[in-house]
Amino acid sequence: MNQRAHATTVLARRRIFETLISPGYYVAQTIGLVLAYFLVAGFVRSIDSSGFDYQLYPAYELIGRSLVGAFGATFVDKLFSEGPFLFTLYVAFLPVLLYLAVSSVFRFGLEKKVGALELLTYGPADGTSYFLSGLIKDILATAIYLVVLLVFLLVAGVLNNLVLGPSFYYSLIILFFLSITIYAYGIFASCLTDNSASAIAVFLGLILFFIIILMGSFTIVSGYVRNLASVFAWIIKWISPLFYWDFALGFVEVGNWGMFFVGIVLLLVLSAVVLFISHLTIKARGVRS
Amino acid sequence: MKLLRIAIPLILLLCAGLLFGDVPVREEQFIYSILAFNGKDYAGTFARKDADTIYLVADVDNFITVRNVFVYFWPITQEWKTDTSALNIPFQGTMELYGKQDQPESIGMTPYTYYNIRGEYELNWKVAKEQEAEAAWQDYQGLMDAYWQSVSKYYEQRAAYEAMLNQLTVTITKMRDEGKDVTALIDGLKELKAPPEPQYPTKYIVPPVPVQKAFILNLPVGEYRIRFLTEEGKIMEGSERRIVVFKKRRAEAIGLEVIPGDKWTRPVESKTPASVLYIDGSTDLYVRPFYQQEYNDLFYEKMRKNDAKGNPTLMKWVRIQQVPKARVEISRPSAETQMVMEEPFYVEQVKGAALGYQIVPFDPEGKHKDREPSLLAFHVPISNDERVVRLRSQDKDGEYLPSSERQIRIITPTRLGLISLILAILPLVVMIIVMARRSRRYTS
Repeated sequence: MNQRAHATTVLARRRIFETLISPGYYVAQTIGLVLAYFLVAGFVRSIDSSGFDYQLYPAYELIGRSLVGAFGATFVDKLFSEGPFLFTLYVAFLPVLLYLAVSSVFRFGLEKKVGALELLTYGPADGTSYFLSGLIKDILATAIYLVVLLVFLLVAGVLNNLVLGPSFYYSLIILFFLSITIYAYGIFASCLTDNSASAIAVFLGLILFFIIILMGSFTIVSGYVRNLASVFAWIIKWISPLFYWDFALGFVEVGNWGMFFVGIVLLLVLSAVVLFISHLTIKARGVRS
Repeated sequence: MKLLRIAIPLILLLCAGLLFGDVPVREEQFIYSILAFNGKDYAGTFARKDADTIYLVADVDNFITVRNVFVYFWPITQEWKTDTSALNIPFQGTMELYGKQDQPESIGMTPYTYYNIRGEYELNWKVAKEQEAEAAWQDYQGLMDAYWQSVSKYYEQRAAYEAMLNQLTVTITKMRDEGKDVTALIDGLKELKAPPEPQYPTKYIVPPVPVQKAFILNLPVGEYRIRFLTEEGKIMEGSERRIVVFKKRRAEAIGLEVIPGDKWTRPVESKTPASVLYIDGSTDLYVRPFYQQEYNDLFYEKMRKNDAKGNPTLMKWVRIQQVPKARVEISRPSAETQMVMEEPFYVEQVKGAALGYQIVPFDPEGKHKDREPSLLAFHVPISNDERVVRLRSQDKDGEYLPSSERQIRIITPTRLGLISLILAILPLVVMIIVMARRSRRYTS
């Protein structure tokens, strides 16, 4: 156990270093921050004497109309009631989340395929310590980016006389834990498959499936489709990280902070379960595809 | 000639298109006509053939009738509508209500009326059933009869007054021409008073509707099923529906209606203390605190309009009524806290060719004499020099109302925003520095 922990630490340190010296992470961060800049700037341009009106700025009009069409006016009202930052947070976080998750899945699959992982296991490392090191790297990179994003949005807020509301901070916290579960599913997809392409396909398929199920019950569609989505959602929700994200934020709305933290704990439990299944899978299947 | 032969039918076809535009297809359908209480008001909707669920608020009286009407889809507003002018056949019978019990509850049609009595609060809805309904209707009729009698009497008195006035004027003129003393007659003329105009009864905001029969559903929260049985006891085909009865989740919060001085037709609502009102500071604001209740978005929308869309996973705040005799506390970072009271205002059209309105203080003695104020609100002066204005509402006893804190932020155009663009590309700069250092390290 100590050997595995040591191997994990050494590998994690190495992978963090690799991430910090490669351009991908910085490019993903820049994409996220530039998107955030445009969303905040667009919000400021969409303000008149009666408040925020997304129809005043073309880019926001497109976003606003699409969101109203899919989720309803109440959703959009709530999304922008504290300002632009809640929406901006999710949009700006997505590039880095995708980059970290997909690159880890790709690398896992590739190193398994070419035998690099097998080579590692001749030493003190095993498959579990390998994927745990990747997870630590992703968690740390996510935490760094969330801090960068928070600082950036705070500065943007001060410069434009905007404030970051309570929903923003709660979403920021829950996004961190949500991303851990998503990375865990990435590891699970990699353990389950033989190469990078299929690992990415399984991972994206899983995430897309969770999104569709959540959106299906969320979206304003007619009775039959929504009922079907609700039934599916009820079955699938227990393994979906998005369910616990929605669960936690739902309690924030009514001021029940205790249940918000329960949501976080449940996300961590789900991550642990997925990682444990991954551990069993890689143990059974081996590290060479 | 050949061209003409083609062109004429084409033109005729085009004209036909203009003359006989799309007429929506009307279909005879069995519908449930619903008069549901939405927390502040009674509003009508209907459940057509394909609408499998009816949504109602719990523990209030809701009125349901069944009828055959023409139903059509109106594409312009994307709504289903009924055409009751051509077909409107109400059915008499009983309704079977299936709840948690094994046996259905049989509900008969009950005579009812509903009305809203004027009071300090806007919510004074009353429902009268059976004999009470008849009594309420008779009371209203009596009130109106008395009013019309007094109007009739007024016109008689007015005619007599005018005749008297006319006669006196003629007599005075004649006597003056004859050089006689008219002082007594002029005194009589001065003492002559016009009869007072009778006042329209103000007892009701919404008067009772004529007594009619409906199935009255006042149910606790839950899911039910209903079906309609004709007077012969036969089940009406296609009459089965699900009923979802829901209640408010919360009601303790205060909302704020915000009316900008230059766009009084476009008020915005601030529903939670966390919500921030961002404005450009070009005009003053007029605010009105209101009580609100929180409902499921889908349920509430469907209750108001059965074919409406809504989001089942979201809750929405619904404005119920204005807080009576409230006070609003205004705090500014650079000034002392100020308490403002509700004041009457009048909306005037902007002078000149430009469209627009402006809100001015109501002047009952001056230029707004004999007019009613357009709105009662709290005036919040706004200046471009300020960055934030905080509001908090109090009730009539001076107690702070829960969740009534709001902040208004004034956004003025600034070039400082560009600094954030520079910050946004900082990671790229870091990347270039890291890569350059590594490159130098390995090349040296």
